[in-house]
Amino acid sequence: MIERVYDVFARKHRGDQLAHIGYVDALDDEMARVYAWKTYDEENWFEMCVIRRSNIIPVNRQDGPFSGSRGEGE
Amino acid sequence: MALSNEDELKQKIQDGYIIESREEMTEGYRKALIVQLTVQADTELMSAPAYWMAARHAPSTNTQVSAHAIIQDELAHANIAYRLLEDIGESKEQLVYGRQPHEFKHPYGFDQPLDNWADLVVANGFFDRAGITLLSDVYQNTSYGPLKRALVKVDMEETFHLRHGEVWMRRLAKAGGEAKEVVQCSVDWMFPMTIEWFGLPDDLKRHSGQLDYKLKGLSNDELRQVWMSSTVPLCEELGLNVPAHFDSETEEYVLDYPFPCEYDAADKRWVYEDGESTWDAVFKRWKGRGPMNEIYVESIQRSRRDVGGWLAEKRQA
Repeated sequence: MIERVYDVFARKHRGDQLAHIGYVDALDDEMARVYAWKTYDEENWFEMCVIRRSNIIPVNRQDGPFSGSRGEGE
Repeated sequence: MALSNEDELKQKIQDGYIIESREEMTEGYRKALIVQLTVQADTELMSAPAYWMAARHAPSTNTQVSAHAIIQDELAHANIAYRLLEDIGESKEQLVYGRQPHEFKHPYGFDQPLDNWADLVVANGFFDRAGITLLSDVYQNTSYGPLKRALVKVDMEETFHLRHGEVWMRRLAKAGGEAKEVVQCSVDWMFPMTIEWFGLPDDLKRHSGQLDYKLKGLSNDELRQVWMSSTVPLCEELGLNVPAHFDSETEEYVLDYPFPCEYDAADKRWVYEDGESTWDAVFKRWKGRGPMNEIYVESIQRSRRDVGGWLAEKRQA
């Protein structure tokens, strides 16, 4: 089963920064949405979204978890 | 920034440097972090089938919901720890689905059956308290940024598990009679089980990189004291007997039984009458794993190959 990594971003209240809060592995985007909502249920989030890690394009660093992708998402 | 020198990295870390990526790690640091995260991930993962099988004993629909909420949290925590491992070069697929039951690194306590509702709530009260004790120390001291951030959520949820455990321990103990007796039985096998969980006493512990790399802050004996400083007063307040007491002269908690001790897993009983055992014997028992080890691991791995196979067929069709 080939799962992709998705990074999860959320803000708790209106006016808050959107912050990276975690990650899920999922077979597709729909599953990623469900997993993120069920996994990171420790707060009553005002807003949550997920992004495929492979779609994150690093700007200034060549190391760390986002460096492998170089934005080569499908 | 490539650091190749172990001593140089240790010095930077002691001065407060926070590691953010695999590329900044020395091999020694990465190995020590892998050991720590594997124990953490496996412990969260194995608590799930243990709690899941015990949830059948929940006395109401509401308690079923609470028990399953706890199981869901534990699986999420496991997922988070395995993801952290992936980001430093390990494979979650291999770790979760590719290992034999005896290769998992969780404590021996999660190889044991939780046979009734009291076992489950005392596990929440004792084992989850141990989890919070260990992980709070990691949160406060770790030099690894991604782990520190991930633990915010974990700590919040473990506190709920602990509250669930303590509220139910209190309810059963206050009821008296058979309810209290059954909690006492759970306490009798789980108190020494949790004490043992914290590992070798400091005077026997081989030097490990965990403190040099600031992957944790407190020693095994210090963590054991922290756990007892919450657990012993709670049990005393509830009229539950525990084999430990506070020594006001040394201002430390002292165990009232031979430690380490042998455990009869079939009987769920500590063999106090045989006196003090050795840590070699304890490690041998841990390595041999407990009665539920294969059953718990099988319950997690069971369907992976089947369902994976069906999906692969679909992709080829």
